Amino acid sequence: MDRADIKKALKDPHKWGEKYSLWATYFCTGCGIMEIPPVLTARWDAERFGVKPMATPRQSNLFLITGYVSIKTLRAIILSYEQMPDPKYTVAFGSCPIDGGLYHTSYNTVNHLDRYLPIDGWIAGCMPRPEAIFIAVTKLWKMIDGEMVDGYKRYRENIDYYRRNQERVLGKEFIDSIPASTMVKP
Amino acid sequence: MTIWMRIVWIAVLPIVALLISVFFMGLSRKVIARVQRRYGPPIYQPVIDLVKLFTQHSNISHGMIFDMGLIIALAGSLVTLLFIPVGGIHPLSSSGDLLVLIYLMLISPIGVALSAGASGNPNASIGISRKLTLALGYEVPFLLVLLTVMTQGGTTSLVSFVQGQSTSILSWGLFRFPLSAIAMFLILPVMLGIRPFDIAGAPQEIASGPQVEFGGKYLALASIEHGLHLFIVIALFVDLFLGGAANLGTFFLKMLLVFLIGVFIGAVYPRFRIDQALKYCWKWPTLFALLGLILVMIIGS
Repeated sequence: MDRADIKKALKDPHKWGEKYSLWATYFCTGCGIMEIPPVLTARWDAERFGVKPMATPRQSNLFLITGYVSIKTLRAIILSYEQMPDPKYTVAFGSCPIDGGLYHTSYNTVNHLDRYLPIDGWIAGCMPRPEAIFIAVTKLWKMIDGEMVDGYKRYRENIDYYRRNQERVLGKEFIDSIPASTMVKP
Repeated sequence: MTIWMRIVWIAVLPIVALLISVFFMGLSRKVIARVQRRYGPPIYQPVIDLVKLFTQHSNISHGMIFDMGLIIALAGSLVTLLFIPVGGIHPLSSSGDLLVLIYLMLISPIGVALSAGASGNPNASIGISRKLTLALGYEVPFLLVLLTVMTQGGTTSLVSFVQGQSTSILSWGLFRFPLSAIAMFLILPVMLGIRPFDIAGAPQEIASGPQVEFGGKYLALASIEHGLHLFIVIALFVDLFLGGAANLGTFFLKMLLVFLIGVFIGAVYPRFRIDQALKYCWKWPTLFALLGLILVMIIGS
């Protein structure tokens, strides 16, 4: 951790800020509500790393999607993601966002989340331990250093692909209902 | 103070106040973490947060009032700051500045209310209504306390009032009118908007209230405004009841003491409901302030 390295911070203040001030919106769609709160409170204390829960997507730049994604919650996930200011990082937590996990045969589960949103990191497991969040955060720091996290740029570049997939699952009405202020322009 | 010294301090004082309030915010996060048996973030975490917010690529605006409201709020806070004597430095003070302060302190809440209202978010509207209701609650004891101070000191000038307290510790406002000091101390967390009274910006209930649509630079300006407000209220308390100070070091030490007591109370108490807060404001602080005023008027006559 080079958080106290003043020379490096002055050289690239933007990167310094992005790395050590990850404010999280956590989207507990079902599972994960057991794992995330201990991470943020006294047991594991994510505030050591500058990770802080934020009440609204407008203020946060780390999006934690935990547990399985149903079609109904995908709607809210997309709307929340588009409200977050750039640069933003998404981390999918658990097996279900990767391939549907336990629920992969269900008619109502979205099996591959990365077809609808760009995901920067995956934490596999059902469920992963809370420590996995810290491993993810430190990994994210390395990726920000090497400029390897480009999810929000990919989303902008391939917006047609993502919109097509979103429309197939959620219907044309959903795409039309996205407010113009949050709409991502290619 | 010569005119040139005044001009220099007008430029320097906001920067000093900003540094001090950022330090206070970092300290409060560390202290709260230690009280809750956590390790806590480093003390310069607010600096990292502000740097991040200012350098963010996209800043979503919701129209002109949304932008201007925040600037009005920040300007209001900066002007209020210049009227408060900070350790012997008072760039804009002259006679009657206590009356000016009462009016100027209203500008920044109105600016935030304008800006948050323009975002059109229902959570922001609820937050504003809570904030203004809370203001209604603490304004009554606050005005009574100021009235007591003005009656007893026989002056509406904050500077001459601070000078009157500089002879000995027993001439501090705290010992001259203890009831008013208690009343002001009881409404201090309400005015600062910290736990148990962070009702307006409750993250868990109304998604951080007026700040719900702020992101990037907007949130940075809003948190700077909040920090300056913190500085103003605590500095006013130190000036009125702890005798001000002859130099900056002593003044900031006294401010730190008052702030830490507030943080310790905030670290262990849960949040009140808005009706409970209003009932609290109009009960004990108002009672103490009223008794203090009556006592001062009886003794004075």
